[in-house]
Amino acid sequence: MEEILFGIGISALAGALATVAGAAEDTESDIGSQGDPNSQVQLAPQMGYIHRIYNKAVSGEPPAYGLWVALAAGIAWALMAIQYNAILALIIGSAVAVFVQGVYATTAYLGRTASLAKFEQPVYIDILKSVTSVTMAHAFVAIFTTVTMCFLIIEALGHPFPLPLMGIVWGIALGAAGSATGNPFYGKERQYQKYDFGAGLPISASGDIVRYAEAGQRSSLDNGWFTSKGAGPASGICFGLIVFFELWRTILFEPFAAGWGAVIAGAVIIIIFMVIDRFVETWARKTYGPYTEETAAEEEATA
Amino acid sequence: MSVKIEASEGGMDHNVMLGIGVVGALVCIYLVYLNTLMSTEVFAFFGGLAAIIVLWWGTDSIKNLCSYGLGTGVPSAGMIALGSGVVAMLFATKLAGISPLLVPIGCVVVAAILGAILGFISDKVLNMNIPVMTRMIAELTVVGSLTMLGFTAMVAGTFSFGDLITGATSVFGVEIASYASSVIGGCVLATIFMLGAIAIQHPFNACLGPNESWDRTQMCAIECGALSMIGVAVMSIAFLSIPAVVISFAISIILWGWSYSELIKLSKRDAYDWLDAQPIREVGGEQ
Repeated sequence: MEEILFGIGISALAGALATVAGAAEDTESDIGSQGDPNSQVQLAPQMGYIHRIYNKAVSGEPPAYGLWVALAAGIAWALMAIQYNAILALIIGSAVAVFVQGVYATTAYLGRTASLAKFEQPVYIDILKSVTSVTMAHAFVAIFTTVTMCFLIIEALGHPFPLPLMGIVWGIALGAAGSATGNPFYGKERQYQKYDFGAGLPISASGDIVRYAEAGQRSSLDNGWFTSKGAGPASGICFGLIVFFELWRTILFEPFAAGWGAVIAGAVIIIIFMVIDRFVETWARKTYGPYTEETAAEEEATA
Repeated sequence: MSVKIEASEGGMDHNVMLGIGVVGALVCIYLVYLNTLMSTEVFAFFGGLAAIIVLWWGTDSIKNLCSYGLGTGVPSAGMIALGSGVVAMLFATKLAGISPLLVPIGCVVVAAILGAILGFISDKVLNMNIPVMTRMIAELTVVGSLTMLGFTAMVAGTFSFGDLITGATSVFGVEIASYASSVIGGCVLATIFMLGAIAIQHPFNACLGPNESWDRTQMCAIECGALSMIGVAVMSIAFLSIPAVVISFAISIILWGWSYSELIKLSKRDAYDWLDAQPIREVGGEQ
């Protein structure tokens, strides 16, 4: 019984770390315009919209976070192998990984922007200096919490994987959770404020991103200000729930049916979530779907 | 059939790059073998140099493959290169049982065969119909396997399977052989895999656009390779002596610093303008 209580406690702690990681990860990627929003930021100068928004094309988020977390985990593992203090090892690993992340971010911005010279998009080096440091700070939070979570899962729950392998698995999961949950908030609601909610993206509006903020010109830091309210916490809850349910079902149901109990519990959790997702989706479509009302209004106007 | 779009004009001929890549990497990996011959560990950094040379060549392969309208396929190309390369690399390290000198050559041969099969399946069976597909996937598999082999040799100071699965752990000051603290048992390979996979796809992915230029993309490849080398040098602290780690680390830092400053110079050359804290320019006048 005590063992189970200990396990549930560690699961809760790992889930909390994962929640922080998810929130930081999504905010980092939205400030850098990585993943989903990047294509429109890249397209904007070609459509005549010169902008001051960061253009961070470092792979997709899942592989990129796979690297940052796996690198932090690999270095932490190596330092622990020479009997280094575990906490210090995790911090040094995360610091080196963040250095690599920052370098990749700057080369991506410089590379993509310099390749757009034909469309008269200049390189704004003040953006490079101010935004890169902010994405690095968010990335450090995301990487450190995820690596610490992996360390807890191995040391406290006795997971058989070595730290670097756990790092790559959970790093990719973190990137995927942020990319799938966080980006829709940023992609449509912040990048295209002048278009109606739910209107989709007409081809004629491609690249017509919002370039001026409430006070002056928009930089990617404004995107961070916005996405840290909605998209970041949503990604955090998403990743936190993934980690919590994953650990919780293993700890509680592993003893049943020679390990198959955990597998069955996992399948049941997925089915329950599928039902909830379907309900939320149909409810949202019914409540917010704009198209039927708009056509009705147009018909009235023409009649 | 897909239409080819020229990514960038000029630059070195791809076949010449292939030659430099394969020969250069093999020479560097064989130089790591000096460690065994001279009972030292200080030559481990040659593995990292081998990885930089193949990444330099592999960037051009990805550019060739992805000039057929595979914009979003650039990161995937990097992943398939390393994913298939790791199979060939692990197989080749087993050849050390026959003779350690067979490993680098065996790695190239096995990867080329494996890559050709994978490329043929993608091109003909999955019907992607890209003329250079079979050749470029084969090249990328060789690139991936040599990158893995180079970085593995750098982190462990050796490239034979037997040494990669035995590590030493210290319990109360007594050295005990342990699988869990080896390169493969500790899964340091997982980190090396990601370091290689992102480094190979990043240069072209980051520099693509109408004004992409050959020398800037290739300089970015060297920079990414050197950056990965820094991470590998830090991890080698678990396996190598301190002088070997310091040498690896110093060489990585110097190479990275030089290539990064060169890359910034080239970006400055190619950029439309280089502005500090200036307002948005409106193309065609104020709106």
